[in-house]
Amino acid sequence: MASVRPDDESFEALFTAEYARVAGIANRVLMDQHEAEDVAQEVFMDFHRLHSASAQYAPAWLHRAAAHAALNRLRGSRRRLRREVAQATQESDRIADPQKVYEVSEDRRQVRQALARMAPKPAAVLVLRASGLSYAEVAQALGVGIGQVGTLLRRAEAALRKEVTSGTSF
Amino acid sequence: MAHLSEGTLRRMVDEPDAHGGADARHLETCADCQARYSTVSRDAGAISSLMTAPELRVDVASAFNRVRSAPAAQPRFGFRLPVMRPGSRPMVLGFATVIAAAALLVTAVAQGGGIFAPTTVTPVPVQVADLQALSQLSAYGTVTWTREPQPQVVTSAAEAKAISGLQPPTVAKLPPGVSSTVTYAATAQAIAVFTFSAAQAAAEAAKTGKSLPKLPAGIDGATLTVSVGPAVAEIFGNLNTTAGSDPTQVGLPQLIVAESSAPVATSTQVTVKQLEDYLLAQPGISPELAAAIKAIGDPSSTLPIPVPVEYATASTVTVQGVQGVALGDNTGVGAGVIWIKNGQVYGVAGTVKLSDAIDLANHLT
Repeated sequence: MASVRPDDESFEALFTAEYARVAGIANRVLMDQHEAEDVAQEVFMDFHRLHSASAQYAPAWLHRAAAHAALNRLRGSRRRLRREVAQATQESDRIADPQKVYEVSEDRRQVRQALARMAPKPAAVLVLRASGLSYAEVAQALGVGIGQVGTLLRRAEAALRKEVTSGTSF
Repeated sequence: MAHLSEGTLRRMVDEPDAHGGADARHLETCADCQARYSTVSRDAGAISSLMTAPELRVDVASAFNRVRSAPAAQPRFGFRLPVMRPGSRPMVLGFATVIAAAALLVTAVAQGGGIFAPTTVTPVPVQVADLQALSQLSAYGTVTWTREPQPQVVTSAAEAKAISGLQPPTVAKLPPGVSSTVTYAATAQAIAVFTFSAAQAAAEAAKTGKSLPKLPAGIDGATLTVSVGPAVAEIFGNLNTTAGSDPTQVGLPQLIVAESSAPVATSTQVTVKQLEDYLLAQPGISPELAAAIKAIGDPSSTLPIPVPVEYATASTVTVQGVQGVALGDNTGVGAGVIWIKNGQVYGVAGTVKLSDAIDLANHLT
């Protein structure tokens, strides 16, 4: 039996409207299309299981869930590090400026490690904003006032910078 | 005018039109704020670079098809319901109670002469020691499922009916404070066969070093076939109050209303009185439980409801015109009612007053 009813038009409409953005949020954290889409699909199934697709809070719930689910997965994945180093080496082998590619990969790895070490809320603020959500959307997703988002974001950026600088590994 | 806050400056970097004219005018004329704005803007740009991600190209239609054809929600069931969470006392108790119920069923079958088809319920007191003693019985043979239980969590009554064939009972009015958010769980009929093994029982006895009662003659190879369900349950309460996938953050169900076809058991080679005596002679079985089992008037048609006496009190009540077993009290900490009518077992349980549970049970349609 399918977990999603084929006749559930409102869920399909929600899925169509939000899937790319939800997967994008997860991709911002995981930097891996396959894993990001895994997370996005889990998030939609979780939502569908317990909520009405026509609920007003649906997009905000999905955005928040995507950020937290991806961050949780990031925290739980220590094997990722080894794979990324291998990927970076492969990419640098076949692209014109391998040093540049390697540096970008290394930056991304450090950022993900930093995100994994950060408290959930500041990490989510950074991820949601970087994924293109407006301040109003970030506020809805995190259940805070829109006036607080700038302050949260500024503090989260400082925390990320500090974490990246401290740069301890997993 | 006071200087602009860091948060305001940060938003002005991203959404310059979002702030009122006063803020914009202040920024135009305040050298201090302009300097801070530059810093904030530079920091934001640096972080933005750090947060870049590889391009994502999604095929929404394919993704939707994958979600639609994904396996049913059944694997989620285990941790969606907090009572099933590992390490929690309710789970351990619940599991032990299920084992005890199965074992008591064996007793009833033994007494009833081969077929057990309950039409009424009665409470029997069990203690933790009873549960431990009875749980050993599972090592005395092999359980095989000829039809495995496949509980699924779904979001609509229609879907629950499609799985179980049972229309979820209609609740006339929810007790005060109970959320109307409802989730459904359903399962088709499950059938298990337990085959007694003298060798396994002997091995288990040797392993534990305990002196166990001798198996009755002729029981080796005897089978007990138990069918349970189909069943359907309505779970009231917001089970997922927080976004995200942290399973420890789910909300507790406030009320569960369940209906199941009454279990039916048949057996082969079972020596009636011997088996009863054998089960009740297990080390650790309390005299209270043994006495309660023996006191059941018509064991072939009575479903014993194990009541953990350390944690709950039970009484016999009349529900929908039949005898039921009520658990709990009126403190609202927890209460439940279970009864059998027209071959169906019904249960209502939750963090409600017992009087509310009975009232709800009486108005269930």
